[in-house]
Amino acid sequence: MRKRYFIHETGTDRVLNVIFQIMCAFVLLVVVYPLWFVIIASFSDSDLVNTGKVLFYPKLFSTYGYGEIFKNAKIWSGYMNTIIYTVAGTTVNIIVTVTAAYSLSRHEFGGRRFVNALFVFTMFFNGGMVPTYMLISSLGLVNNRLVMILPFCVNVFNLIIVRSFFESTIPPSLYEASVLDGCSHFKYFFYVVVPLSKAVISVITLYYMVAHWNDFFNALLYINQAQLKPLQIILRDILLSNQVFSSGATGGTGMSYAQRYADQVKYGVIIVSTLPIMVIYPFIQKYFEKGVMIGAVKG
Amino acid sequence: MKRILVVLLVLALLSTLVTSVAVAQEPVKLKAVIIKHPLTQELSKMEWLKEAEAIAGVDIEWQEISADWDQVKSTMFASGDIPDLLFNATVDSDYATFDGLFENLAPLINETDTPNIYQFFTDHPEAKTLATMLDGSLYALPKYQRYWPNVATSCYINQQWLTNLGLAMPTNWDELEQVLIAFRDQDANGNGDPNDEIPMDFLGYTGSGSPGQYHALMLLGSTGIQMVNFFQDGYFAEDGVVKSVWTDDRYKETVKYLNKLYSEGLINPETWTNDYSTYQSVARGDGEYAKVGITWGWEATDRFGLTLASQYTALAPLKTSATDTRDVRVEYDRIGLNYDKNRVCMSALSENKEAALRFLDTLYNPEFGLQILWGGMNDVDKCIAKNADGSYTILAPASANMDWGTWKWTMSWADLGPIYISDSMVVNLGTDMVDTLAQRAIYDDYVAKINEKKDLYVEMYMKLTSEEQATSGINLTTINSTVLPNLTAWIIGTQDIDSEWDAYVQYLLSSGLQENLDMRQNAYDNWLSTLQ
Amino acid sequence: MSADPVHGILRRELRLWRVFRRDYQLWIFLLPALAAIIVFNYLPMYGIQLAFREYSFKAGITGGDWVGLKYFEKYVNSPMFGLTIKNTFTIASMSILLGFPAPILLALLFNQIRSPRYKNVLQTTVYMPHFISTVVMVSLLHVFLSMNSGLLTSVLKSLGLLTEKANPIGDPGSFVWVYVLSGIWQNCGWDSIIYLAALSAVDSNLYEACRIDGANRLQIIRHIDIPAITPTIVILLVLNCGNILNVGFEKVYLMQNSVNLSTSQVISTYVFNVGLKNSNQFSFGSAIGLFNTLINFVFLVLVNLISRRVADISIW
Repeated sequence: MRKRYFIHETGTDRVLNVIFQIMCAFVLLVVVYPLWFVIIASFSDSDLVNTGKVLFYPKLFSTYGYGEIFKNAKIWSGYMNTIIYTVAGTTVNIIVTVTAAYSLSRHEFGGRRFVNALFVFTMFFNGGMVPTYMLISSLGLVNNRLVMILPFCVNVFNLIIVRSFFESTIPPSLYEASVLDGCSHFKYFFYVVVPLSKAVISVITLYYMVAHWNDFFNALLYINQAQLKPLQIILRDILLSNQVFSSGATGGTGMSYAQRYADQVKYGVIIVSTLPIMVIYPFIQKYFEKGVMIGAVKG
Repeated sequence: MKRILVVLLVLALLSTLVTSVAVAQEPVKLKAVIIKHPLTQELSKMEWLKEAEAIAGVDIEWQEISADWDQVKSTMFASGDIPDLLFNATVDSDYATFDGLFENLAPLINETDTPNIYQFFTDHPEAKTLATMLDGSLYALPKYQRYWPNVATSCYINQQWLTNLGLAMPTNWDELEQVLIAFRDQDANGNGDPNDEIPMDFLGYTGSGSPGQYHALMLLGSTGIQMVNFFQDGYFAEDGVVKSVWTDDRYKETVKYLNKLYSEGLINPETWTNDYSTYQSVARGDGEYAKVGITWGWEATDRFGLTLASQYTALAPLKTSATDTRDVRVEYDRIGLNYDKNRVCMSALSENKEAALRFLDTLYNPEFGLQILWGGMNDVDKCIAKNADGSYTILAPASANMDWGTWKWTMSWADLGPIYISDSMVVNLGTDMVDTLAQRAIYDDYVAKINEKKDLYVEMYMKLTSEEQATSGINLTTINSTVLPNLTAWIIGTQDIDSEWDAYVQYLLSSGLQENLDMRQNAYDNWLSTLQ
Repeated sequence: MSADPVHGILRRELRLWRVFRRDYQLWIFLLPALAAIIVFNYLPMYGIQLAFREYSFKAGITGGDWVGLKYFEKYVNSPMFGLTIKNTFTIASMSILLGFPAPILLALLFNQIRSPRYKNVLQTTVYMPHFISTVVMVSLLHVFLSMNSGLLTSVLKSLGLLTEKANPIGDPGSFVWVYVLSGIWQNCGWDSIIYLAALSAVDSNLYEACRIDGANRLQIIRHIDIPAITPTIVILLVLNCGNILNVGFEKVYLMQNSVNLSTSQVISTYVFNVGLKNSNQFSFGSAIGLFNTLINFVFLVLVNLISRRVADISIW
């Protein structure tokens, strides 16, 4: 199907093609080099990294950084917790968001504008950290896994994206046809809307997953039991324990040993924390398939 | 059936008996939070702490935090949901902001209930003064760790470079400039490249805070300004008057000198953006040839690495010129290094205040003071040994890849703890402390010049009302936002200090500096009056 | 209007009932999300009044003395007001001006790549920088833009784009550029995902038809690709403008140094400094926060109004 785009090439197209290729190569270089740098820095002596001596390959190769990261027993429970929060949280997010977005996308829906405004309002106004903390605490959600899953399960930004996708991409005629076939909203939603919306659902799945994976602040506030802490908090602790004093004001710290490799940990942490979530992308991308509409429109 | 009932009854009775006996012996359960250094290991691995808990008859559930406390703290405090004890978790303004959340310990401290704390305050009334609020209440206990030096910052010069180039040790700013020029132009480190020497490097990177203890503003001492405790945002005293460095003509003089050095290419141009970690890396060079001529640091091996450290020596405080007759001073940090307030406080809502207090008093036993600072005195921790004659020896790190400092910060609460080390104990310090103290011997004569009643302004001792604290904090942000960019721009030379100075001073004074000085003068006068 | 009131009420009830019967499934769909925001977002909103009260621990959030606009006035009259507003607006508008179109262009460019495998590689690569934490991002900037040893500084200097004495991370003038461009590097690929997804929904028959009509690639981009993603663009633009003053605190804070403070002190760093670091100023912090929010809200409403007029797209 992809080929159709490229048939009937004109002369201009061939020139354009070369230009596009060059631009892509440039983008790739600009993005890849710093990433490569992070990788080699995670294996190199920090003093050499800081003074700009490490450019293309690791120098004074060492795996101290990864050793520091993985010798920490808590890291595995951190991975476990993060996976639980991410999987459960994302599932809840998707169900809640997509269903709500569908309702809000129906033009005939009575409370539509009001409810919409109700959601958008929360993007801007909140009660502040203290009242929110008190509420969560009184619901018994402090030090409870549910706090990482339930409270902020609708991201209004994502809700609007899905809603506008429904509005702009799914032809109203489909609904009319379905109603004639005796479809209820439920049926129409599950059998027509969801299958047609794989692209947008996969995008917000990615958004939610990454948000859960990187969620740091909620865990900081609401989780202080070691066995419930997610990866990001544990990595942050490891990262800091390898950073020397910023001022040394407390004196007598001479941390020469840690210093030499401190940044290895810093760069290593990126690799350790992001590799798992990065491999997700190709799976998500699979759903960005061409022509999802065609079958439905024609059939 | 009856039998069974009887047996059951007996069993029930027995079990209540057993549990009640167990309860009597069981330690009191407490909760505590500690803000510890990121290097510090888990508390459950500290044997000395278990001993202390056992002695006090408490069992503490610890919440250990080493980052981002500022962001969590106010939320937690405002919700009123805090543990029984809070170590290193509060600042002065918290007691007023969260009025009623923390226990006033002043009435609880006496000879019978808290003998150790009582002894501490008897031996060191200044520590008690430090911790006491304006209204006489005392919410958090202070520390005293006795051994730290008078001066936090050493200025180091590369002695070997001087020898290589046949130069004499500089004694004033003019000579310093000549030395730096020689470092710049010649191959001082002898590696064949005359251009890889950085004549002077300092930590000009400050984020949004005031310059720190490794800033070249340490040269202000040459002009006679008596700085105290890591610069403390530029406040100092002279003849009983509190002044700010930022609007002082001697500050202008120092900045102009630095501008001259900078324009001659004698200062590392990246000093403003190199963070502490990079600052350290630069001075360690490649481990073979030294890169930096003059710089500031805590201790030579820490600053330059083991191989290069021997090339450096401490530089005695300089005069501005051979003919300058002003009294040269060095920054005095003894109080800041050895004392601190807000080490530990107690929740007013705690249900076990007695047990909590008992635990605190146990920690203030000087023998535990040593262990809080340097680590446990037992076969598990192996940080301190008690000798037959009753003296103590700080043991070398038991882990091969840790230096003394790292070891200390790993094994214990170190300088952040509620420490009391009595002056009567005999302690054989580790080599890191011995070296640190030795490298500062040249400053002793300068420290002796300080007149405690005229030119020693210690911010820590000043009692401000909560309203004053709030205003002062807001003003500080405004002041820093003006002072820091100007300081740098004047040194780099992108702005002209002479033409801007008067307007700058006026602006600072009118946008909060004068207000801050006035409230400090008031507090300083009160403090001086208590000295007599 | 009915002459018979009873009949009228009945009829209204009947209509409501019909509407409800028609829509009840939609309400069921909406219920979980609505419940979540009402409980977790709306219930705590009583806290907003803190901006108008003197915070007192004993009296609680709602019990402090009412001080009205005291803290708003304090901020507006403070010497830092002008500076923080100016810096925040500069950074925010540059971010939108340069940062907003970048992912759109990137998505359009990637959509032109013929080989699906190469396209996959490209997409999977460019979204990776998004995962680099702010702390590391800032230290990367220091390493690459260091005045003497930075690779990027050397390249830019040899291309003549920077003067010999330039210090990109230690110069008040370059702060905004470094902030915005590094932000684009980090987030452009990630932000392009949504556009790529929208582009993937374009009916390929349309392309075919265009091709047969003899359109070249640029024309296809203009007449098919861009219209296809326009609704997404508009929605995102509106949402972005409603975020205009929310300049990321952490990155600015970490990038601050004594040289660039005159351009890098923004509202959020100021709130942090006065609200948390140097003193406990709940009320002052809340007031500035609310002020910030109100401006954002005004922007959102304005931009949304324009988009409704021009493109008939609205977020309400």
